[in-house]
Amino acid sequence: MKTFKIMAVAMFALSMFAFLGCDDEKQPGFVTVYLDHDVAGEALEFDNIKYTSKAGHPFSVARLKYYVSNVTLLEADGTAFEIKDVHYRDAAEASTRSFSATNVPSGKYEKISFIYGLDETVNVDGGLPNTQTNINMEWPIPGDQGYHYMKLEGKYDSLGMGVIKNFNLHTGATMGNQNYIKISLPLSAFSVDGNTWGIYLEMDINEWLENPNTWDFEEFGPMIMMNQNAQEVLKANGSTVFKIDKVEKE
Amino acid sequence: MNFFKIIFFLGLPAMFVFSCKKDEPKPPVDPDHPDLVYDPTPYQLAAPAYFPLLEMPADNPMTEEGILLGRMLFYDPILSGDSTLSCAGCHKQEYAFSDENQFSTGIDGLMGDRQAMPVMNIAWVSDLFWDGRAEGVEAQALGPVENPIEMHETWPNAMEKLKRHPEYPSLFFYAFGTWDITKEHAAKAIAQFERTLISADTRFDKKFYLLDPNPFLLTDEEIEGHFIFNTEKGDCFHCHGGSLLTDNLFHNNGLDANSADEGLGKVTGKTTDRGKFKTPSLRNIALTGPYMHDGRFATLEEVVDFYSDSLQFSETIDPLMKNVHQGGIRLTAQEKSNLIAFLHTFTDTAFVHRKEFSNPF
Repeated sequence: MKTFKIMAVAMFALSMFAFLGCDDEKQPGFVTVYLDHDVAGEALEFDNIKYTSKAGHPFSVARLKYYVSNVTLLEADGTAFEIKDVHYRDAAEASTRSFSATNVPSGKYEKISFIYGLDETVNVDGGLPNTQTNINMEWPIPGDQGYHYMKLEGKYDSLGMGVIKNFNLHTGATMGNQNYIKISLPLSAFSVDGNTWGIYLEMDINEWLENPNTWDFEEFGPMIMMNQNAQEVLKANGSTVFKIDKVEKE
Repeated sequence: MNFFKIIFFLGLPAMFVFSCKKDEPKPPVDPDHPDLVYDPTPYQLAAPAYFPLLEMPADNPMTEEGILLGRMLFYDPILSGDSTLSCAGCHKQEYAFSDENQFSTGIDGLMGDRQAMPVMNIAWVSDLFWDGRAEGVEAQALGPVENPIEMHETWPNAMEKLKRHPEYPSLFFYAFGTWDITKEHAAKAIAQFERTLISADTRFDKKFYLLDPNPFLLTDEEIEGHFIFNTEKGDCFHCHGGSLLTDNLFHNNGLDANSADEGLGKVTGKTTDRGKFKTPSLRNIALTGPYMHDGRFATLEEVVDFYSDSLQFSETIDPLMKNVHQGGIRLTAQEKSNLIAFLHTFTDTAFVHRKEFSNPF
């Protein structure tokens, strides 16, 4: 019985030590990333030809679906934490608006980086779980592999006088080129220490059509999946489509 | 001393609470039928690995007994008002469980205005009917019995007929463990049978998913058709891609400048959904004519001519109909012929002859 008593006291002491020892330790936190969209500052409204591209075409948006991957928070010294490997966003589905990490190590984060699309390790046939959603994003062009990175689709007024055509900005790997976009955005630094943060990313859809290259719907036509020149233009424009709207404690 | 004992032994009962295995539920035995035991055999759906991940309804697990009952109800005209028309009357196995007629004829000689959709690979379909009005297979199975232009029966009447039947009460008991026959049980059984109707035994599967090395599996024309189908040349794949050959979504594919049938728009109430219909799977497409929601095209030649040359613009036409401004994808006669040849590689001859899918009576 004496041994038992000693064991119980020792266990109690150990647990108290562990409890008190935590007092100075910073705690992991909870971070949620939100993906929202606008067109030149106007809220995105589907199926309404109410926006105008830099090339002068009134246009509407019918669909916006895409992947972001390797979403990572970075500290000043380069310490990195990956929040999410792959996230699928459908702008029409509220359930895809955000994703979270529950165990973000404590630290002061100053940057968020991610890939728009999928890198070559994931962008292979069967690289993503075989869900209907992922299958619908497959890129079956013979000779190429993987998935659409983005489907941005809608209608535009080709002459500005009521001749309506369809556009399909589909990006992905084609003709041997991967075409994914590496994006890195500075954050207003925030400290994770047992708290909950929200990072709000905002895509300005017009940026796909104007910065740095003016995208003319007529120039490349509605079919660009095997057109590497068109993919290059969108790749350049895509690097500025996101900005940080806000970072706030939740 | 007692204090330490309390701390130390507090966990022991809790351990037993959490580790105790629940007693297996005993099969119910009905006092009026002591010889019958409810002990269903679980059924594992044999789905190809390359099909989408499957989400089955938790409240309708598949069993051998449920499938057998569902098969009988699918083929038995007992569910119709005058006991002359079964589900299989309009969903015929030889046509991949569709109807060769433009519109099916109900028991009163009335016809609808939509083509009967084929029943295959339905376990992967979420919103059923051309307009998506049924959320699941069980909900779909409830519809035709009471539809006045189809089976024109009431479920209470149908239930009475089943209860008076010499065999059905015990079949329901074997499947669901109850003598209280309900329309929900009937729909669940039919849904279980319909989920077994998997079609994936085609030259298309062998070539592109099973990677059969036989170089003669597809002809040169079929391979050319595959390139048309899976590039923006024909651009079929955006809606009819993947192993199911459907995206399971809704589109306006440009049939009409002003669609008389509102389709999805009538279900959602949105003008932006007007003229949108469910993308049908192209599996067994050579067997499932006539085509489109209203069966307006009798042949695949007419279908391909339409997509090539006759698209109609409307406000809700899908952006994926990329070349509507020039009438369509503008294929040559040879390209059309190659594309149609490729569509024939989707035919699953074994599926339409499988005995376990056939009429059990």
